[in-house]
Amino acid sequence: MANDRSGSEFQFPKWTNAIRPLATAALLGGAVYTVVLIAYGLSPQTTNVGYAPEQPVPYSHAVHVSELGIECVYCHNTVEVAAQASLPPTQTCMNCHNSVFPEKENLAPVLASYESGLPIEWLRVHDLPDFVFFNHSAHLSAGVSCVSCHGRVDQMDIVAQVEPLSMKWCLDCHRDPDPHLRPRDKVSDLAWTPEGDAREMGATLRAQNDIQPSTSCSICHR
Amino acid sequence: MNESKRPPHWRSLRALEAGDAMREETRAEFPEGADQAPTALSRRRFLQLMGASVALAGMSGCRWPRETIVPYAHRAPGQIPGETTSFATAMELGGIAQGVLATSYDGRPIKVDGNPGLNSTGGAAGPMLQASVLELYDPHRSKSVTKAGEQSSWQAFDAFASEHFAALKAKGGEGLSILSESIGSPSMALEREAFLAEFPAARWYSYEALSRENISAGLEVAYGTRLRPRLDLDKCQVIVSLDDDFLSDHPDALSLNRAFARGRRAESGHMNRLYMLEPGFSITGGMADQRLPIKASQVHAFLLDLVDAVSGGAAHGDWAHHPFFEALRRDLLAHRGKAVVTAGPRQSIEVHALVALLNQELGAPGETIHYSEEKLDPSGAASLKRLSAEMSRGRVKTLLMLGGNPAYDAPSDLGFSDKLKTLDSSIHLSLHANETSVRCAWQLPRSHYLESWGDALTWDDTYCTTQPLIEALYEGKTAQELLSMLRGENATGYDIARAALAERFPSADFEKFWRKTLHAGLVEGHRSNLPAPPHLAVGLRHRLAPSAKDEGYELVFAGDPKVHDGRFAGNSWLQELPDPVSKLTWDNTAQMNPATAEKLDVKDGELVKLAVQGQELTLPALILPGLAADTVIVNLGYGRKVAGPVGEDVGFDTYVLRASGHMGFAQELSVSKAGGKHVLAMTQDHWLIDAVGFNERARRVPTLTREGNLAEYEKDPHFATSHEHHPPLISLWDEHVYEGHRWGMAIDLNSCTGCSACSVACQAENNISVVGKEEVARGREMSWIRLDRYFSGDPEDPGMIQQPVACSHCELAPCEGVCPVGATAHSDEGLNDMAYNRCIGTRYCANNCPFKVRRFNWFDYNKEVGETESLVFNPDVTVRGRGVMEKCSYCVQRIEGAKITAKNEGRPLADGDVTPACAQTCPADAIVFGDLNDKESRVWKMHENARSYSLLGELNLKSRTAYMARVKNPNPERVEDSVEHGHHG
Repeated sequence: MANDRSGSEFQFPKWTNAIRPLATAALLGGAVYTVVLIAYGLSPQTTNVGYAPEQPVPYSHAVHVSELGIECVYCHNTVEVAAQASLPPTQTCMNCHNSVFPEKENLAPVLASYESGLPIEWLRVHDLPDFVFFNHSAHLSAGVSCVSCHGRVDQMDIVAQVEPLSMKWCLDCHRDPDPHLRPRDKVSDLAWTPEGDAREMGATLRAQNDIQPSTSCSICHR
Repeated sequence: MNESKRPPHWRSLRALEAGDAMREETRAEFPEGADQAPTALSRRRFLQLMGASVALAGMSGCRWPRETIVPYAHRAPGQIPGETTSFATAMELGGIAQGVLATSYDGRPIKVDGNPGLNSTGGAAGPMLQASVLELYDPHRSKSVTKAGEQSSWQAFDAFASEHFAALKAKGGEGLSILSESIGSPSMALEREAFLAEFPAARWYSYEALSRENISAGLEVAYGTRLRPRLDLDKCQVIVSLDDDFLSDHPDALSLNRAFARGRRAESGHMNRLYMLEPGFSITGGMADQRLPIKASQVHAFLLDLVDAVSGGAAHGDWAHHPFFEALRRDLLAHRGKAVVTAGPRQSIEVHALVALLNQELGAPGETIHYSEEKLDPSGAASLKRLSAEMSRGRVKTLLMLGGNPAYDAPSDLGFSDKLKTLDSSIHLSLHANETSVRCAWQLPRSHYLESWGDALTWDDTYCTTQPLIEALYEGKTAQELLSMLRGENATGYDIARAALAERFPSADFEKFWRKTLHAGLVEGHRSNLPAPPHLAVGLRHRLAPSAKDEGYELVFAGDPKVHDGRFAGNSWLQELPDPVSKLTWDNTAQMNPATAEKLDVKDGELVKLAVQGQELTLPALILPGLAADTVIVNLGYGRKVAGPVGEDVGFDTYVLRASGHMGFAQELSVSKAGGKHVLAMTQDHWLIDAVGFNERARRVPTLTREGNLAEYEKDPHFATSHEHHPPLISLWDEHVYEGHRWGMAIDLNSCTGCSACSVACQAENNISVVGKEEVARGREMSWIRLDRYFSGDPEDPGMIQQPVACSHCELAPCEGVCPVGATAHSDEGLNDMAYNRCIGTRYCANNCPFKVRRFNWFDYNKEVGETESLVFNPDVTVRGRGVMEKCSYCVQRIEGAKITAKNEGRPLADGDVTPACAQTCPADAIVFGDLNDKESRVWKMHENARSYSLLGELNLKSRTAYMARVKNPNPERVEDSVEHGHHG
């Protein structure tokens, strides 16, 4: 019966039989790939963590904090009372650099700013969306350390973002703050670790200081 | 609608007449056509915008744009970036200081409130004061010196002035005239003295379109010296207002509001009684216990009869037989020494002299009224008339104008604007280039009060300092600085203000005193001394001119509660604020009562032609109940021709009808239907609460506003709720228990006058968009607080009650359940939160909100906000984009701010730490906010008060905002006239 239709008729080569399973696999694989790409590729973990732009002045926190022992709040001196942990004014730099390496080439933008009164334009590393209202002072007085969000800045030559700063990440801590709480006098000691169990100590501190982080929308979105 | 079926409170005449038709409208969330695009934004333009935003979205890539941080090079000591700081200063309006506490964020003022250091006002601010911060950032302010319309510079003006004024000085100032708006500033007085010493022959004139000159002139007739009356409402049992809107249109309205409200707390057992006689319907009229619509010209006749009747003689006039008159007379006589009579600024000098006589008869001076010396120059039409005459005679070669806008607001018979052009040289110092500026040779930019050094005196002569919060945005100078410059001194505003303070208050340690004064914004304990009541002129009653006859139609001029005399016409917040009584935005009209409208055969919005003494104007009619018969009331301040894109050609210029002979009101008005119609953007029937539903339900549902009179209150303090009938309120769900804070609000309808200051304060605090007239007409206004104004009783002589309505933060909120994306959710403190970023704009929530308090961003209204204007935005509140629902948040940014501050300071939150913008600015202290879990808090006590009730309480929404029913205190003799309280069945 097969011979009746042979000759003029085109027949698919045998290898085409593989197309269907291959196409199915590609489709399935593609779907998974797309999902994975979006989930991981666009997550703040991928797009933001590790962001370390080059700053106009190659200021090294590692040198200033770890080697010279300058406290965080010496420069970021509004962090305990204000929403913003403001960058220091140029005059703070010049408190020391008036006499320490004033001629150094790297410091030229600082000197220029000090003399002209025009600001140094630093690049923002930790950039929350504009519809989020974050307050540094509230977190510090609750006993959340700088290191919880910013990582070991004291060891960084160039500041990089180490946490995703995503809404889920914020909520994780607001729902379960205990492991992240420490005594208030230790908040800017980035190397500090609790002696016992962090969670246990956090729970004690939370009860002591009446810390009730809310997860209501308006805590951050107004 | 017949009398028996009339609802006790109705929102507009239309609602009263329409009945069922209106009910259909209530069912729709937005008026018909609300989903149309505004014509200003054509379809094509709309697509362009959308295209552009898609393109931008594509370009932005994976990470949002790089942001820079720009710290100060040198930060001032004590300055904390990102935190707000407050400075005390003062705004001068009509020569009187309004104490201000201005909030600055990183060096830019973003909010203006009353100075709480002024005990009499306690932090309150009116709508104009609240909106004055927007004026600072108005991109259409005068930005540079112009000469004959061409851009010039201060250097060029200085070159001209030094030569020109040197020549003038040589002649002793001959040919020089100065026309100033009312300025009561002490430093200005010193500068003026120094200036006139160098130019002794120069003439100084003052003019205010809304002058209160008749009052001091009337007192001068009575007492021989120009005096300023100061009401002491705290001591008043009976207040009689003759066409005086003292709760709104008065330089001291804020403290009068406070004192008036203090005297009316039903719980205290003491309630004053306000009688109001007026041609229009004012805010004060709405608060009156007894009100009589009366033609403006007949106030005089009524007063004559009252003076005769009270002083023991026989009253001969027609009014003596009016039942209202007799009740008032007896009440006044029963309260000698505890009564006061006051008359409005549009009434004649004779009326004010008679008022002084009547007050003397009632033993008011020294008790309920005090007089102090009026130091402001006469600023009425008479002074401008003198200047105008001098100009006609060619005696004015140089005219220096300090502020004001006489080319627009001068009486039309003077022909002032034409005469201006004939002058050799004219100089105008002004915040905006206006109708006067464009007719002057030189136009000089004036600095805004938030950029100026200076001083000013309040109504009770408290010395206030003015300090700049920001360096002049444009090249403005103050009037003081200009005068100094013209003398060749070039002193700075700072030096002038310091010198004036040092002169008035010599102090051993001046530097310390200066700093202390600047910090407080005022010098405490130095109000002007009140002299003993002076002697009244003998035979006053018979020396005064007789009253006018009651003939024909009358035209009444009213200052506008929003744009004042027209100076705020360019302020979009004020333009869009609904008029407190008519609820009209972006317009002015010829207001008349229903009977007059029927006689003229006109309806709302139909054009009428007004003609008085040869001057004509055609403008739309607006029908309001409760106005005097045969009276047409027009608001001044609209129809500006040179006022920037916001204010130009909004409404109609009613100054053309005003002449120096009739600044307050005019008789012999001819009025006729002109044909044609004008669209009026009124919010009065927007956002109707469907309280009625079905006819059957209507009989059971208590009304939204509730009021009763004092007798009813004394019989049953719970009158507001004791007649509520509804099944037991049982929730379908397990209710949430609030253990921490439980925020709530209470609004006392007994104090609220409807002045609308809360609405503007909310707009400033929460970055609420302005949408424009066309959009308002479609029902898209964005205001988070609306003032529902209800009339009650007889449409010919109704009562009025105002009710502020904003989101009530219902514990069982109907809006939350219907949101498909969880954009509106409850917080653990009971706030009904809005997460704008989640909102996808289905508008289900607004549909399901029984209070109709949710507002939708139909378009990206903020896109058109320029760089300068955007400086006014509050950085603590998100600026909303298109397609997002928004509503009152109880100022959650302030709640969180106060909580964080308390936590940082290691103390619990105290009652009063959180004050929303509306409560902060309320002159009558009618809005109270706090924690309902704190049983000592003011708000809890108000919630527990006998008068307290929930709006739509029968729906079991458990709303956090409680209202306190109003209690009126009508004269028992006239009690049948009093309002029905809101119970039907």
